[in-house]
Amino acid sequence: MAGIELLSDQGYRLDGRKATELRKVQAQMGVFGQADGSAYLEQGNTKVLAVVYGPHEVRGARSKIQHDRAVINCQYSMATFSTAERKRRPHGDRKSSEMSLHLKQTFEAAVLTQLYPRSQIDIYVKILQSDGGNYSACVNAATLAVIDAGIPMRDYVCACTAGFVDDTPLADLCHAEESGGGTSLAVALLPRGGQIALLQMDARLHQDHLDTLMEAAMTACKGVSKVLDEVVRQHLQETSVLTGE
Amino acid sequence: MMIKTEKVLHLKSSRGGKVRVVREHYLREHVPCFSALCQAACQNEGKILSGDVTHYVVPDAGVVRDFLEVLEFRELQGIVFMQTACQAAQHSRRRLYNRLRSLLKDPRHHCIHFANEFQQYSYCPREKGESQEKWQTRCIYHAAVWYHDHLAGLRPVVMITEDQEAVAEYGSRTSGVYVISTQEYLQSFWPELQAAQELYISICQARQERESESTEREYTEHLPAEVLEAGIKSGRFIQGTLNVNKHRAQHEAFVRFEGSSNKSSELNSDILICGGKNRNRAVHGDMVAVELLPAREWRGRTTALHEGVAEDKAGEEPQSQPMPSGKVVGILQRNWRDYVVTFPPWEEVQSQSRNSQRILVTPWDYRIPKIRISTQQAEALQDHRVIVRLDSWESTSLYPNGHTVRVLGKSGELESEVQTILVENCIHVPPFSEAQLREMPVNSAEQPWSVAPEEVSSRLDLRDTHLVFSIDPLGCEDVDDTLSIRLLPGGTRLELGVHIADVTHFVQEGSLTDLEARARATTYYLADRRYDMLPAVLSADLCSLLGGVDRYAMSVMWQLDAESLSMCKVWYGRTLIRSSYQLHYELAQSLLNGKPAEVPELERLDDADVRSRRRAELLEALRLLTRVARHLRAQRDQSGALELEGVEVRAQLDSSRNITALVPKQPLEVHETVAECMIYANHWVARKIQESFPHQALLRHHPPPRQEFFNQLIDSARTRGFTIDTRSNKALADSLDQAVDQGDPVVNRMLRMMATQAMSNALYFSTGACSEEQYYHYGLALDRYTHFTSPIRRYADIIVHRLLMAAIVAEKDAAPSKALASNKELEELAHQVNNKNRAAQHAQKQSTELFQCLYFKDKDPLTDEHCVADAVIYAIRANGMLVFVPRFGLKGALYLKSRENQVVAVESDGRCVWQAGTLDRHLDRISTSTSMGTHTFRVFDHITVRISVQPARCHPLNLCLEVVSSRPHQAPVAPTETGTQPKGRGRSELVQEVVRLAEEASQQAEEKKGRKAKLPKDEREFRQSKQPNLYSLLQEIAELALLDLQTCEPPRVEAQTCSISA
Repeated sequence: MAGIELLSDQGYRLDGRKATELRKVQAQMGVFGQADGSAYLEQGNTKVLAVVYGPHEVRGARSKIQHDRAVINCQYSMATFSTAERKRRPHGDRKSSEMSLHLKQTFEAAVLTQLYPRSQIDIYVKILQSDGGNYSACVNAATLAVIDAGIPMRDYVCACTAGFVDDTPLADLCHAEESGGGTSLAVALLPRGGQIALLQMDARLHQDHLDTLMEAAMTACKGVSKVLDEVVRQHLQETSVLTGE
Repeated sequence: MMIKTEKVLHLKSSRGGKVRVVREHYLREHVPCFSALCQAACQNEGKILSGDVTHYVVPDAGVVRDFLEVLEFRELQGIVFMQTACQAAQHSRRRLYNRLRSLLKDPRHHCIHFANEFQQYSYCPREKGESQEKWQTRCIYHAAVWYHDHLAGLRPVVMITEDQEAVAEYGSRTSGVYVISTQEYLQSFWPELQAAQELYISICQARQERESESTEREYTEHLPAEVLEAGIKSGRFIQGTLNVNKHRAQHEAFVRFEGSSNKSSELNSDILICGGKNRNRAVHGDMVAVELLPAREWRGRTTALHEGVAEDKAGEEPQSQPMPSGKVVGILQRNWRDYVVTFPPWEEVQSQSRNSQRILVTPWDYRIPKIRISTQQAEALQDHRVIVRLDSWESTSLYPNGHTVRVLGKSGELESEVQTILVENCIHVPPFSEAQLREMPVNSAEQPWSVAPEEVSSRLDLRDTHLVFSIDPLGCEDVDDTLSIRLLPGGTRLELGVHIADVTHFVQEGSLTDLEARARATTYYLADRRYDMLPAVLSADLCSLLGGVDRYAMSVMWQLDAESLSMCKVWYGRTLIRSSYQLHYELAQSLLNGKPAEVPELERLDDADVRSRRRAELLEALRLLTRVARHLRAQRDQSGALELEGVEVRAQLDSSRNITALVPKQPLEVHETVAECMIYANHWVARKIQESFPHQALLRHHPPPRQEFFNQLIDSARTRGFTIDTRSNKALADSLDQAVDQGDPVVNRMLRMMATQAMSNALYFSTGACSEEQYYHYGLALDRYTHFTSPIRRYADIIVHRLLMAAIVAEKDAAPSKALASNKELEELAHQVNNKNRAAQHAQKQSTELFQCLYFKDKDPLTDEHCVADAVIYAIRANGMLVFVPRFGLKGALYLKSRENQVVAVESDGRCVWQAGTLDRHLDRISTSTSMGTHTFRVFDHITVRISVQPARCHPLNLCLEVVSSRPHQAPVAPTETGTQPKGRGRSELVQEVVRLAEEASQQAEEKKGRKAKLPKDEREFRQSKQPNLYSLLQEIAELALLDLQTCEPPRVEAQTCSISA
């Protein structure tokens, strides 16, 4: 007695996408004046706000200071109104801590931290509306915010999830697909070099299928990177027009 | 490119509250329309609706939900199922949706799916306050209009609905798009399709009836699915398939575990479901969830013999040890199929109920409860066999509701009875459609088929180099297999070749013929007819490896050392052959024995010199072949590595002896020779495909039997002082060989029969689905086995042929032309083929039983001497015993206690009469005590029984046995030994076998004599063959079906059937 049919015989998913199609990605950079960098991103119905402060002096415990590179500090939180039922605790729970850690690892791999020894970069992300693929939306938004802050990176970090239904990999899962009980693989990719910054999968999957699934996720990441690139260029154009250059 | 919109849904959350959910919904401009008339260059792939129809029809959600069966008629063409309707079906009933899906997948049905909700212009969002049904209707209408416009109005589109308001609202809104009711549609567009209209009316009536149902509760409600699922996970409920006891259908049913039962380790037996209340509307075959009753309410299974559907007397009958009992709390999956029922006589109907539209009909299968039908045709249908489908079974109703589908014919007529057997076994064998036949190559007098030149170059040509011949039963039409053997130049090596008809050359994967063959899975052999898997042009002509014509073949060729006969090299591939001799078994055997038999192919030669040379060649080949086969057999027998001697090898002896015991000729060694070569070929092909495709090869395994099944065998054998060791197949074979009672040869035969019964069936499986230890074939004592040698009549062989071809291609490092079936697909296919094979076996058995009954039906049991026969007791029950009648190969129950509580008393001369008295039952004997003294019946005692037919109106006819005398039956005529002298026997045969054969010779003679007398009658009435008793022959085969002897046995049946039709 399986649940809902995630992929119809005709090749459509629940929301009308085909297996390899992404959700609609929309983004805007520089949404706040106060922060050093900020971005707002929608990936389907998942909506995220990312804010970057830094690089600045290390605050708090001096023991955290790294003498050869900057420390990256991430905080992930979800708005209480982000899910269908009101959330009690917006941040600090186990899931959020884990997500914060994952974000930290992702950006340590992407940001050129050695340029800023003995300093700290803060990345704050908040999910405003959650509809699956929270991690990837956060990474994508944070990338834009980091770029907005003018912090050099090796490359865009683009993230996307992929699932596996009926021997077919599905790109960019929505909430209904994620909660369907199947596998979900999240990849954060530096698309130009094809390096993987983070790879995460919780459910079981036969080894034979792993390659095809990763392939699908990486293709999806590259798709996301195109959109992000466009957003950055557009933003640049707008700001340069404003400053009159 | 795509437009994103949002859909707001209100769903229930896990805690039961209402939650507002927003889902994305993407629309696109290009959604394939799957119509051949498309003007907009849609990317139509797969199944396409042809433009060759007068209109397209679009059923709305309600019609799909309630009348999908009507739409299943293949005559209805050009159906467009809108996504909205399919989704509605998905939400209402899972089974319905699965049916719809298979309908859409089936290329023989002329229907497609259109994803209207994802099309930018055909999608209409639900408006505020609009009801779901209204919205669905609007959506579908909108989509129908779009579809019409998309095809530029080339064909009118008809939307059918049950909603009269919709008809009024949309009916004339757009020209070219009509909205009418289903009934009107059927009447105006398909007036000649009477069956569809009748089905429609029958469903309508059933629905109306259901609405006007009383509310009185007869059964407890089933638990909701979530509760069941949680209960099964926690171990509170047990999941299993309901199995109703055929003999006590009202009271006893069992639930067999599925999967691991580790959670309740104390339960390793089945669970008894006692009575209708506990069964709670579950029907035989349903997947149910069961809750155990407290131990004090446990009951035992009834040990008394029971006559059919007899009266309610629960509690009085003797019972065995209490066993775990339970009650059904919910049904996980209904497994309803089509049922054949019989309508009661009209008078009965009228007296039965005030409302004569509602009728209780009795299914043919005892295990199915009576079904309530509402129909106005009850008078016309009285005493007819009718196909019925179940609709529902509410808790307020004592019986399930159903509707009629099709009338088969009058009950008791041969044709309708045979159709009944087919329907009951879910066998659908319509004549091959024209489209299928159009795919076939032509071979007629005007257009003779010939070998294509490109095939000649790509195949290994054996026409001039090899002496190829076939050995089959006399008159066989479909020759699957041919053999060749020769000494290679140099003289040190032999080359043995098995050449199998290359069916896959003609049957392309995915073609209509292939799909039909896949659906049939096997050729069905009934007592008086057969239904071919492939059209006759293939099965009897182009694929059949007939003598003297060029044919394509798939070959396996081994190089053997000429001295030691050890295997050196094996070659697989496609070949081109011309069979030189089409021999039959008897002819081949007499050639081997040096008898002056006439070979028709040689007789045609004029030159005497050539003739004798050719004859010598053939003889040499046959001798070599026999030698190799003996060696292969011995190898399998004593292969130290396996240290197993297959039971099957023994049983094979057993079987060929049994079968030939029914044919006037003696068993021939050549039967075994051919079988051994086929087993060898199957084995090597299995090795090849398993090595090439470790996770997706189709093999056949025979799992070792469960030890507890041998209990009856061990107990029975002990009464005669034999011990049976069942620990391994070799031990079993040896102990069976020793269990020979010098005075009574039937004992050994019966023990073997019991052993056969204890075994499970051999099954096809995909190698990816089992671990390697499970590949083992217990019967044949081979580590890998498959079916390769009969592609004309088994679909599994076709798959194996394709796999083998793919393996050969892969070896050459060429890219495979087509992706192979995945493990999952293959496993599904194996499951389907297994099911169909089982159905074929059941159908075969039931049809032969039917003929058996028809034979006895016209005999007067009191006067006709054929109705009196010798029987052997093989099991004891509380009020009687089970006996086996060797002469007719039938088993049955024998009552020692009548309904008036009288028991059988034995007079001094052995005659039996009914008298008041008592019964005393022990494990191995049963005693009757009356005023005339005490008589004890023991297991393996011979008694005389009278056979009569129990009249049955609704159910299959039954044979009824009655004890006549406690002494063995004295045949009125002395056995005539003339025709049965063992003349054609190879000297090489194992000594012990000869001993056994000699013991049975007298019995064979007796059997034969019995048969001779009744043959002419058989012939006249049932078009039975001139071969002796087809029934017994088939019975034997059915019993031995697990024994993989199909390599050589069923063709023999074909031969007989051939001669019938000839």
